[in-house]
Amino acid sequence: MTLTVERATNVGPPAADVLLDVRDLRTYFHVMDGLVKAVDGVSFTIKRGETLGIVGESGCGKSVTSLSIMRLLDIPPGEIASGEIWLDGQDLLTLSPEEMREVRGNDVAMIFQEPMTSLNPVFTVGDQITEAVVQHTRMSKKEAWNKAIESLRLVGISNPERRVKQYPHELSGGMRQRVMIAMALSCDPKLLIADEPTTALDVTIQAQILELIRKIQDETDSALMLITHDLGVVAEMVEDVAVMYAGRIVERGTVEDVLVRPKHPYTEGLLTSIPSKGMRGSRLNVIKGTVPNPFNMPKGCNFAPRCPYRFEPCGAYDPRIEDAHPPDVACWLYTPAPGQTSAPRQSGPERQAGPMTTGAPT
Amino acid sequence: MSKFIIRRALGLIPLLFGIVIISFVLMKAAPGGPAQQFQRNPRVTQTQIDEWLKRWCLSADASPAAAVKEFAGWFGIYNCNTESIFSEKGGLNFLPSSLGGGGNGIIHGDFGYSIDAGRPVLEMITERMPATLMLTSIALILWVSIAILLGVVAAIKRYSFFDQAVTFFSYVFYSLPIFWLGLMMIFLFAVTLRILPPQGIVTPRAWPPFNTDVYWAAFGRNPIGAIIDIGRHLILPVTVLVLANVAGDSRFVRASMLDALNQDFVRTARAKGLPNRTVVMKHAFRNAMLPVVTNVALEIPFLFSGAIVTETIFSWTGMGLLFIDGVGARDYFLLMGILLITSAIIVIFNLVADVVYAVVDPRIRYD
Repeated sequence: MTLTVERATNVGPPAADVLLDVRDLRTYFHVMDGLVKAVDGVSFTIKRGETLGIVGESGCGKSVTSLSIMRLLDIPPGEIASGEIWLDGQDLLTLSPEEMREVRGNDVAMIFQEPMTSLNPVFTVGDQITEAVVQHTRMSKKEAWNKAIESLRLVGISNPERRVKQYPHELSGGMRQRVMIAMALSCDPKLLIADEPTTALDVTIQAQILELIRKIQDETDSALMLITHDLGVVAEMVEDVAVMYAGRIVERGTVEDVLVRPKHPYTEGLLTSIPSKGMRGSRLNVIKGTVPNPFNMPKGCNFAPRCPYRFEPCGAYDPRIEDAHPPDVACWLYTPAPGQTSAPRQSGPERQAGPMTTGAPT
Repeated sequence: MSKFIIRRALGLIPLLFGIVIISFVLMKAAPGGPAQQFQRNPRVTQTQIDEWLKRWCLSADASPAAAVKEFAGWFGIYNCNTESIFSEKGGLNFLPSSLGGGGNGIIHGDFGYSIDAGRPVLEMITERMPATLMLTSIALILWVSIAILLGVVAAIKRYSFFDQAVTFFSYVFYSLPIFWLGLMMIFLFAVTLRILPPQGIVTPRAWPPFNTDVYWAAFGRNPIGAIIDIGRHLILPVTVLVLANVAGDSRFVRASMLDALNQDFVRTARAKGLPNRTVVMKHAFRNAMLPVVTNVALEIPFLFSGAIVTETIFSWTGMGLLFIDGVGARDYFLLMGILLITSAIIVIFNLVADVVYAVVDPRIRYD
């Protein structure tokens, strides 16, 4: 039994101040055992120069969302089943592969999780940055080389004239991630997607890299989409946040709203499971159960089997964030379920600011 | 780097020593030997046999002590005339003759005489080498290029009809025995269709035996005719070698290329907006070729050792045929000579592979 609600469907390009408008994106994978709906109807927007964090645990579809925007998925087995991705007035999903290539690295640049393996081991750092510059600008090789040195300097690499001639294996992990950032910035992208940029790095380096990304985002005025599972990073880095669970956005809002007054039980669970100093000696809170099997999604709300507040509508009806009344949380606690006149809650439970800030890299 | 090469080159000496000892032991363990070989010829007297055996430190005795003596004599540590480790001049036998050492054994450059042919081993090897090099180098170049081409295309078009077809034929040719494939080719192209010669390097009635002085004189008079003649003889054995070897190598290249295409840096290259051709042929290909370089370097010794089965089937008078004939005749000196030279080439090309590897992969440093 599915619920059909009249949705406000956006038609045509978004307003001029909206840089990225993702509408009802559905990315599926056809695998041996069946169909995996890795991203199942995700919509969000990023305005020019703004920052959005996407949080969620492994396998919730946050990386697939970013790879869908870049159209970097292998098709097949991947398939962008439906949706629109408007970037700067054009729908990326309607572009030809050639046109899309012009967008990649030029309008949207991406920083990946693994700096150790994301650089090609047999070419120098300079070669790899220059390549992108020559591809997207009219610069000569010589000019591009100088641009590479300049962008290495911009990301805080000392002695860039020497570093530019080095191979990736001669650099440390943090240094390589700086190179990745320099590469991403070399063509002045309008949107920077950082997919867990610090997960593979030492804690001390993490803070430096995050600070660098923030500083550069400030200076260049590009928009930032930060994908992470670290709520501390979100708190430090971005203005808006979207929480993903099992291929959908379940809650979104400003960092203060979502992290201080979480509405969705999943967000609440995420926040209470962060260890903090004050809780020393007591058991760590966990979200009970596991992420649903992608081949066998629960009926109704995807989170219901793990939800401590579940009540009748949760097992029967699937809450969609698009249908939510205060339109920022996909949960029947806040939106009256079909057949009900009012919702149990109006706002999320107030939380102490404690755990959130202690989760941040210091 | 030079330090690494010197260190490795010095390490080759004990390795080669080990190889020749093992080959010698295995050869001795096989039944028969030179003494029995001479018995087949009624015109050779017992005195002649005894003298000959003594000259090369050989004996009809099968005791381990006799075998050690034979090996030491072949190697040049033991002097067969004085029957001791001292030479006729009184010095230690393994020293160079100018320093009072002896003249026998491989360390003095004496590879001995073929028991069967009665000619110096080195002369026989140098005589046969060009025929083998001609056959094997053409085959190797062809199969490596075809394997790279097929492997890369199969990897890019993974699971396509082309990929499946390459996989299918790889397994077919990999599984077919070369001798059967060779015979079938001879049957089809030489016997039934009569468009290609069945065997040999040159047409016997039109040309003198290959690589003799008479041959090169004839070659000089009509080079184009000679090349066409050899070319026609090359087609079948080269085809057999290529078919049999492309199979394995193309699978290797395909696997290596698939591995490279799935690396994170390929995704990075795509994320930069590079054209697909650049991503595949520059970023993935260069990395995919690293293991292939090693693989090909290890195949190079084959150029010198020859293709035993193919040469036998096509009566290609090269190293492979020389070796198999030597085995049949228990021709100790010939076998040891070929084994020593081919194993030396193998270890040297291993070293070359390491050096080439350092050139293509900047991550490798040998200091």
